[in-house]
Amino acid sequence: MRFTPAPLAVLAVVGLAVVGCAPASGTGSEDGDTTIVLGTWRTEDAAMWEADIIPAFEKTHPGISVEYAPVDTNDYNAAIQSQIEGGTGPDVIMCRPFDVNRSWIEKGYFDPLDDLDAISAFPETALAAWQGDDGSSYCVPVASVLAGFYYNKAIFDELGLEVPTTQDELIDVLQAIADDGTYTPLALGSADGWQLAYNVLYQIGPNYWHGEDGRLGLIDGTKKLTDPDFVAGFAAFDELKDFLPSGFESISYEDMTQLFTLGKAAILPDGSWQISQVTSTGLDVGVFGAPVAEDGDQRYQQEMADMAFGLNAESANKEAATEFLEWLGTSEFQQLYVNKLPGFFSMGTEPVHYDNALAQEFADLKQGAQLTSRLALDRLSAGQPPLDDEIWRVSQLMYNSGLSPEEAAAELQKGLDSWYTPAS
Amino acid sequence: MIRTATRYRMLAMFVVPALAVYVAFAVYPLLSSVALSFFDSSGGSSAFVGFGNYVDLFANPATSERFWNALGNNVEFFLIHLVVELPVGLLIAALLTSGRLRRSVAIYRTLLFIPATLSVVIVGFLWRLIINPLWGLVPFPLLGNELTALPTISLMSVWQYVGIPMVFLYTALLAIPEEVVEAARIDGAGGWTTFWRVKFPLIAPQFGLITILTYIWTFNGFDIVYALNGSAPGPNYSTDILGTFFYRSFFGSSGQVADLDLGATVASVIFAIILVTCAAYFWIVQRRLKTYEL
Repeated sequence: MRFTPAPLAVLAVVGLAVVGCAPASGTGSEDGDTTIVLGTWRTEDAAMWEADIIPAFEKTHPGISVEYAPVDTNDYNAAIQSQIEGGTGPDVIMCRPFDVNRSWIEKGYFDPLDDLDAISAFPETALAAWQGDDGSSYCVPVASVLAGFYYNKAIFDELGLEVPTTQDELIDVLQAIADDGTYTPLALGSADGWQLAYNVLYQIGPNYWHGEDGRLGLIDGTKKLTDPDFVAGFAAFDELKDFLPSGFESISYEDMTQLFTLGKAAILPDGSWQISQVTSTGLDVGVFGAPVAEDGDQRYQQEMADMAFGLNAESANKEAATEFLEWLGTSEFQQLYVNKLPGFFSMGTEPVHYDNALAQEFADLKQGAQLTSRLALDRLSAGQPPLDDEIWRVSQLMYNSGLSPEEAAAELQKGLDSWYTPAS
Repeated sequence: MIRTATRYRMLAMFVVPALAVYVAFAVYPLLSSVALSFFDSSGGSSAFVGFGNYVDLFANPATSERFWNALGNNVEFFLIHLVVELPVGLLIAALLTSGRLRRSVAIYRTLLFIPATLSVVIVGFLWRLIINPLWGLVPFPLLGNELTALPTISLMSVWQYVGIPMVFLYTALLAIPEEVVEAARIDGAGGWTTFWRVKFPLIAPQFGLITILTYIWTFNGFDIVYALNGSAPGPNYSTDILGTFFYRSFFGSSGQVADLDLGATVASVIFAIILVTCAAYFWIVQRRLKTYEL
């Protein structure tokens, strides 16, 4: 009995495997164009890029074609890392803000971009999320998201309420809605800790801890969460808990959005990415910024850097990729981009017009306000326990179990002190 | 007649492909994950630290607090499954084989097993709507309260998987020959006595199997908690189990930077917890179980 077929079969299987593993063909295309590949996590924007943005770029930049190559957001970091380590990274890489990007910069994934004109089109606060420890910029900012309080204009008209600008006015407005009893004052639940932190605490708090002063003070160690300014921020956050719907401990982010879009609640603290969602049921919705402590105080607006593009240090098409990055700094691109994607905002110094009225209202919140990032995402969460996760947890405890602002701040500072050594 | 050498060659031919695949995709990753747990690779270079990561995990308050909490929750998650799923599964299996349901047995059997075939995301979503304080039936925030959140999630999971022990016990009950039951009846035993004195001892070995399967399944548990509460399951980590703790350590969460070494350590601990208990079970319990020749 002979077994000649078996080795043949093994060969065939191995052969198949080798063919299957062969790298996809290179970036050259038949007509002599240079093709640059964009690596991004925005799978949902693929149609928009391919139909509108890339054609606009290719029209003014003949000889360069752009390929949009999205990876699902949950796999993005790992995918990009393994691609770059394997030498098959995209030419232009979408940058995560802060810590992840800083580690990528340290690993040498990016070329510094300080010489680009595009970089000078952005203010320092916009660039901060993607700078290395050396102070150089490695990514061209694309878009940010803002936080605000959406309000139902019809309910405000019906009850004769004015848009509040101070914390006392906000509490009065909420009390008036509660006294009337027809509507839930605040569409807010504590089932999702991130939502309490990002859309409420990090929105109201900066007015008390003075935005970037407080945030950078924590990073360089000159300020502590137990300082009166921070505790005041936590206290202002705590005051809202009397106006939540019943059973708020189980109310998730989706539930509260629905409560508002069904017209059953008057005010919804949320991010600008929900613009299309909150108006989807035809409500007349306005937006106001976080109220200040006292009339006349400086206003701070949370602007969270979200997307930027950097240049792969190993790219074979750097010239073309640089041209693309320069184009990102132009108002032509920004105008096009933010109007295709309502809820995302240009971070450039040149004003951009928003076709969506609510988006324009949101953008106007930036006027006269100092911009600040979410409190704990930069450096303060790169150890155990991560401050950001701890803030989610502690803000839930404040609402669910009555933890006081002082106790909350003390617990957070204790966790931070256990591992964090301030950057100088 | 095939010679012995040829026989061995044939054996190798048949075994090697499966063995190679198993080693490459199961044994090697498992061992390399365990190996990873003995290194510290933060800061670019990788250094051998012995049991340093384990000491950190068990004794360093920054990580150990979450670990012990997750382990405790996981034990609770397991016990609730065991205490509820097993008796309910037994009750249903006994009813199905009692003959009282007549021709509707097949319908009930199918209906009761259907949840086990549903996606866990769908189960989580359905229950979340049912117990939602805004739109659902229960005004109390079951998932938002630290005391009730974990039992609530466990019971959802029990609801989904009660069909599994039911099927095990149902088939065991069906396998009991009619003569045995008949003999008991002739000796004057009622339904109750017949069940506990005759049928139950015959299906008892199944309980050990179901218990150990539930144990493995709950200590590897992750999906229902993640589907309902994400990777930092609140409130106040009251629904955090080892699977979600591992996920958070290894892949990071929004605010937490991924730590591969810590993640590998957690994974190795989970592996050890399951391995030791299973080994002990098979050596000590399973061998002593009485099985009756029928």
